[in-house]
Amino acid sequence: MKKKEIFITSAFTQNSVWRQILGICSALAVTNLMLNSLVMGLGVIFTLALSSFTISMIRDLIPKRIRMMVQTLIIASYVIIVDLFLKAYYPEISKSLGPYVGLIITNCIIMGRAEAFAGKNAPIDSMIDGIGAGVGYTLVLLIIAFVRELFGFGSVFGIPLLGDWWTKWSIMVMAPSAFFMLAILIWVINTPKLKRG
Amino acid sequence: MAGKKKLFRETRIYPVVFMLIITIIFIGILATFYQLSIDKVTKYNQTQLKKMVLNVFELPTEDIENDFTKYITIQEMESLLFYEAKIDSVLLGFCFPISGSGLWGTIQALLSVTPDFDEIINIEIVNQNETPGLGGRITENWFKDQFKGKILIDNDIVRSFVLIPENEIGKNGEINQITGATASSKAVVDMIYKNVKKYSPKLRAEL
Repeated sequence: MKKKEIFITSAFTQNSVWRQILGICSALAVTNLMLNSLVMGLGVIFTLALSSFTISMIRDLIPKRIRMMVQTLIIASYVIIVDLFLKAYYPEISKSLGPYVGLIITNCIIMGRAEAFAGKNAPIDSMIDGIGAGVGYTLVLLIIAFVRELFGFGSVFGIPLLGDWWTKWSIMVMAPSAFFMLAILIWVINTPKLKRG
Repeated sequence: MAGKKKLFRETRIYPVVFMLIITIIFIGILATFYQLSIDKVTKYNQTQLKKMVLNVFELPTEDIENDFTKYITIQEMESLLFYEAKIDSVLLGFCFPISGSGLWGTIQALLSVTPDFDEIINIEIVNQNETPGLGGRITENWFKDQFKGKILIDNDIVRSFVLIPENEIGKNGEINQITGATASSKAVVDMIYKNVKKYSPKLRAEL
């Protein structure tokens, strides 16, 4: 497979969120502000790229029976690095993301890519696959966050767009709206594909 | 040589050795990152706390370190740490950390009171995990400002505040709650009441 093809496949054609319905817990949790979603997305891209790369590098050495333990260890290490980095350099964002950065460890997309791709492919290809999956995930987060922030706060990336006349929709700020938005997104994207059969 | 290596990888001990080595490597990496960032994190947290203490007394915060040493003294009584603010040896008031349970977790705040403990000077939320955009609005100024100058202790009786809807105009002793976040609003009011009730007799007797 060509590098570009790997990227397109993991980011769009086989997008982890809308095709595989993975990693939706965090997609629901952090999407009420665009900025939080972006930072979360970047954290996931970083973790995915490096963990896929590392796992692929040592894929022949990892004993098959304990491969999940090894994957979790590697993923957790990179996530903790992200968490420490945010705490030290972007404390405000770290504060508003709360425990969700740490919870990237449990994001099924990362382990999914490790199992499905990095364990069988070359390091560079795995890294591209990881970045692709991360970009696909970030895209979903940003789309949902755009709608939620616009309706919930009347702003985009913290910049007020709708004036004072706008009645803020509290529901958009709370978790339930993320369920609706995610479901609508998955529905809209998958319908043409299902119709084509 | 190659055959020998393969043999080792098939033994039962191999996964254990592998896991051990990889754990040590990654812990090493993490420890390094931790050491590199810990100073920055601690410093940031301390500065934030100092800034909040200054804020809660409405003191200037342009030069946090100097202003803090200039105006604030840290006091301790029966393991309760509190802050004393003075401008040119005139006592402004006391500030003590309070906490209570919110909707999703513990809310921590700083409450500053006049020297006689009768009035609230200000309140500052240090830590909270309330719903962003709803309960999270307890950190907004309009909500916190409502507590300014409120009577706390009246004839030795600790007053508790009455909550009214967000858009109504309140009388003395009433606090506008946040729409959609009754629990968080109530948590702040309860937290003040409980902590003042707990600490004020001791502190008043002492000071």
